[in-house]
Amino acid sequence: MRNPDKYWNPYVAGVAMGLVLLAAYLLVGKGLGASGPALRFATVAGEVVAPAHVAATPPLAHLAEEPSPLSNYFVFLGIGTLLGGFVAAYTAGRMKAGVTRGDTAPLGLRLGLALGGGVLLGVGARLARGCASGQALTGGALMSAGSWAFMFAIFGGGYAAAYLVRRQWR
Amino acid sequence: MTYFFPFQLPAANPQVAMLAAVFVGFGFGFVLERAGFGNSRKLAAQFYGTEMVMLKVMFTAIVTAILGTTVLAGLGLVDLRALGDTIASDTFLWPMIAGGFLIGVGIIFSGYCPGTSIVGMASGKLDAVLAYFGVVVGQVLWAEVETHGAFARFHNSSALGHVYLYDLLKVPPQALAAAIVLVAIGAFLFGEKVERMVTGAATDAPPARRWVFAGVGAAGAIGLATLILPASGAARPVPAATIAAPELARRALAEPWKLRILDVRPLADCAKERVPGAECTPLETLKKLDLAYVSPSRDLVVVSERGLPEAPADARAYGGRVLLLEKGFEGWREWALAPAPAPAPSAPEPEQQAWRLRAGIRSALTGVGAPPPPAPAAGGGAPVKRKAGGGGCSG
Repeated sequence: MRNPDKYWNPYVAGVAMGLVLLAAYLLVGKGLGASGPALRFATVAGEVVAPAHVAATPPLAHLAEEPSPLSNYFVFLGIGTLLGGFVAAYTAGRMKAGVTRGDTAPLGLRLGLALGGGVLLGVGARLARGCASGQALTGGALMSAGSWAFMFAIFGGGYAAAYLVRRQWR
Repeated sequence: MTYFFPFQLPAANPQVAMLAAVFVGFGFGFVLERAGFGNSRKLAAQFYGTEMVMLKVMFTAIVTAILGTTVLAGLGLVDLRALGDTIASDTFLWPMIAGGFLIGVGIIFSGYCPGTSIVGMASGKLDAVLAYFGVVVGQVLWAEVETHGAFARFHNSSALGHVYLYDLLKVPPQALAAAIVLVAIGAFLFGEKVERMVTGAATDAPPARRWVFAGVGAAGAIGLATLILPASGAARPVPAATIAAPELARRALAEPWKLRILDVRPLADCAKERVPGAECTPLETLKKLDLAYVSPSRDLVVVSERGLPEAPADARAYGGRVLLLEKGFEGWREWALAPAPAPAPSAPEPEQQAWRLRAGIRSALTGVGAPPPPAPAAGGGAPVKRKAGGGGCSG
């Protein structure tokens, strides 16, 4: 009965996602996001490893000053995202350890690009004050002009670089 | 905490807020996974034209949420602008375009965006773990440099505050929402055409697609209909937004450029004493300000004698937010011009801070306060009568 290759119709998934976003807006008074907790984790880790450096770096010091930097809406949202993803993957029979890549793509290339791409995502999310969910989705649906410019820039960047890395997806 | 929806959860209770965040996140993660974003190949396929899942899911989600908020706003249940001001970030145009470009490159390199990498991790994918670790590293890297020199200048450049497309295009949000529905359906049909060209397969439209298209089309039409209903604009069930005296004082000091304070009391009263920075615009002259046509970038604060149940019609024409001073000038006088006993030294810090602001404002406006005034004017503890020209009005 379960078919791991069967996903929801993308338009139906889009409506479902829009309703989740609406619930976040109207019931909680917040948006969606995923990149915010990353800096909080780094701050908490940095406080253990190099507290002096954290104190000297304003964006990190700012978070470290909070009584408990991890007690934050977006951290709990991230925990929920992890749980939701886990339940959905498990019940669809897609729970499988591994690396997703093209059938003929070298493993090292794929892992290197995953990490390098992740760094670009992190820098970009900091610059743009949000990632694809926190800025494009959340701000875009509130018709914020910057979020729409951001959204077009994402597609621009993706299409501009797609040719360079086509090997890892083939 | 700003409230803009009657059924909003109480944010004051941390347990409720935390639980709500986990629930919303659960829905987010569940839908992302079921749409296929736990699989990086599925997201990457967007940029090779084989399967435009990212376009379809993201744009449908945005359209759904826009329709939800604009229809509710059209019915007077949601304050759309307050919602945006609370939730959306300010626009920093060029950093956002640059950041968007980097994220686009990052998505095709890593196969994830930060949200989908969490779902990828939850489905056991090692590349997703590395991608999210990269996000942490990238965030720290930029946090290290964003307060220095040229990086800081760029990071904070083109700060435009809250800019909404409906303000830029000068159309009602509901009309813009309907237009976005049409653009989205056009983009979907175009995307499907590209898919057919690239893969060579003839995909037949599943019935679910027709239902979604019909649904968003109908919701867009309902949004438009709320514009035609004359009642929706005039008789809004939501009481007009208000601002309390302490908050007004704070904003008038901290960000006067974001406020425009209109004192609608009779000219003589306003000339005698008013909130610092207020313009004397008696009710009957409000029309001459043409508030419907001035830039809606600042919040309009209406100061009346004792507070108004709703904003004057001429002020309602203003495109931006209109706030009514609670209890009007009476409330201001009570808070800012009358002496207040200092809190006990053991009182909590917020209370101390509030009192310091209050005492500071009072001494600035009345001349009573820290340094004892030289004239006998301070006799007794009676409220000090000021002559015209005192305070921040014309002095």
